[in-house]
Amino acid sequence: MVLQTLSPGAESTLVIAPMLIVLVAAVGTLLLGTRPRARAGVSLAGGAAYLVAVAAIDWYVVLAPDAPGAATYQVGGLPAPFGITLVADGLSAFMLTMVAVIGVASLIFSIRVLPELDRRSYYFPLFHFLALGVTGAFLTGDLFNLFVWFEVMLMASYIFVAYYGGPQHTRAAFWYVALNLLASAVFLLGVGGIYATTGTLNMADLARRLAAPAAYGIDPGPVVGLLGLLLSVFAIKAGLVPFQFWIPTAYRAAPPPITALLAGATKKVGIYAIIRLSFTVFADAQISVNLAIPAVGTILAGDSPLAFIGAVLFVMGTASILVGGLGAVGRDSLEGVLAYSSIGQVGFIAVPVAIAATTTVPDIRHIAIVAALVYALNHALAKGMLFLAVGAVRTATGTSRLADLGGLASRSPLLAGAFFIGSLALVGIPPLSGFFGKFLVFDAAAQAGSMSVLVLLLAGSLLTIAYATRAWNRSFWGQRTPAVEDAVADPVQVAVLLALAVTIVAVGIGFEPIYRFADAAATAALDTDGYVDAVDPNQTVSGVDGGNVDAGAGAGGGGGETGMGTEPETEPGTGTINTSDGGELP
Amino acid sequence: MSAFVLAFVVGALFALGTFLLLRRDLIRVVWGLAIVSQAANVYLLAMGGIELGGFETVPILASHGEGVPETTDPVVQALVLTAIVIGFGMTAFALVLSYRVYEEHDTLDASELGDRE
Repeated sequence: MVLQTLSPGAESTLVIAPMLIVLVAAVGTLLLGTRPRARAGVSLAGGAAYLVAVAAIDWYVVLAPDAPGAATYQVGGLPAPFGITLVADGLSAFMLTMVAVIGVASLIFSIRVLPELDRRSYYFPLFHFLALGVTGAFLTGDLFNLFVWFEVMLMASYIFVAYYGGPQHTRAAFWYVALNLLASAVFLLGVGGIYATTGTLNMADLARRLAAPAAYGIDPGPVVGLLGLLLSVFAIKAGLVPFQFWIPTAYRAAPPPITALLAGATKKVGIYAIIRLSFTVFADAQISVNLAIPAVGTILAGDSPLAFIGAVLFVMGTASILVGGLGAVGRDSLEGVLAYSSIGQVGFIAVPVAIAATTTVPDIRHIAIVAALVYALNHALAKGMLFLAVGAVRTATGTSRLADLGGLASRSPLLAGAFFIGSLALVGIPPLSGFFGKFLVFDAAAQAGSMSVLVLLLAGSLLTIAYATRAWNRSFWGQRTPAVEDAVADPVQVAVLLALAVTIVAVGIGFEPIYRFADAAATAALDTDGYVDAVDPNQTVSGVDGGNVDAGAGAGGGGGETGMGTEPETEPGTGTINTSDGGELP
Repeated sequence: MSAFVLAFVVGALFALGTFLLLRRDLIRVVWGLAIVSQAANVYLLAMGGIELGGFETVPILASHGEGVPETTDPVVQALVLTAIVIGFGMTAFALVLSYRVYEEHDTLDASELGDRE
């Protein structure tokens, strides 16, 4: 097995490196207090180091010829499934890369957009805490720990939504906080139920137990409903219909660079969690899922929770495409158009995930996950860049209302060019990154043989063309308005936008390596055995007891070299599953 | 018996929390959120199993000899501690935020919030 060649030292440390870097940057900027220049410097250094660390994970764990495919870090030296395990595999690395690129761009942008605000606020520490939460969510291999990282991420984003402190900002933030606090409670319910049902919260252990419930004496039936609870929480984070209503107000309220990060990174955490839990963890569970309504007939039928996930996600995804597309056509500000567009675009990511969940053909499942990932990457780049472009427009003209804009293309051709490329990438024009995203999504739908999906996707694409054209025509073409007449675009902001535009073009032209990366990520997402092996290669399961809820919780002992000296070393008791992982840590 | 009591308590807390969440007064909404998250905590605690465990199933007790009191699953207790801390911070933030909303809007009535831009 390829995972056996995992070298214990370097790769394992690499896994935790991005988290440590953002944590140091967050605390460092906090300690620097009221020195804005030093804060900005530490922030940029942290961003650069983060980019390097993520690139190192990409290469040494996933892309190098002899890469192991996955690396783990056991926090505190406690072995899985008792400690918290951090896992960097292809899927995590792909997501981290996306966040690193858009995060650094938005960080540089922030320094230009908010210099005066930062002197009296905690912008940069919060920025890094937001990045920390996102990074932790991508890396953790523990369900409860995922909840904790969600909270870290949310806590920072609450403050950003309320950042400007005006009437509409505090109002948006209050409803955003209320919704997400409720979602957190639902998340806890799902976590508690899964723990009671399976006796573990470690994702790899969970996957192993669900694949062979009889061997562990558990009845996996309730996990379908519990997964439904978790799915609703993740759908709130991703902004899928019917949980999309918070997006327009929150995106309008937050500072533009943060909106880019919310759309580019935080949304993707929801998508990532859906893919990770559905395919890596719950895919092998054998649970009969049937739902029939007398008058309508069979709604869904299958022998895996994926059948349920697929059906639900399909409805959510297609509804998101239509709601987002139709909503975006009628908005009167650039942010409004882009916020509704985000809802629609997440639908385009959810639909291939739904196709992957409903199909039983491994090849189609694989290509559908690749399609979702490539589309997610394109959305992160293009939408992140467009939100930053709106920030630049606001810096230059002081407004983002379509009625007050016009003729920006002649006033600032470079800014207009960047916005144009972002819009084209959103529409999916070759050779930009968006083309391959759209192409792969259509390809997955065609291979799955679903005409209705194809028609819906096509309708969504036409709506994308409609609102992108409208936003472009109203703000960049036509007569110059008074606001535009003496607009001066900030050169650094324009440079960041151009760098992102070049990235979008480069991803489209040099698509081969990106495809290989997405391919590796999809393989990792679907390879439950590989994931379990990476997390816990020494685990051998012998005797199994009644499998009550104490089973996974019982044995804290056995880990010889733990970092927690107060824990007495004990033998796993009779009421627990016998493990043989003592002292064999990497 | 205690299982029924716990189930009733969790159900009642969720009902009360949902009722408060749907009120127009923002402070009541915050109360509702606090109660719902406490209900989730009680649920989480109950999910550890409420039958008593001995020192065989709870490793920390093993080094304290045979005559130790029985106890329940410690993992959920650790989880709930974390959840309580997070919930406390969130409730405090939500209260401060509702005060800021009041400062900006001069009202705490949810139906009157939309008027001011």
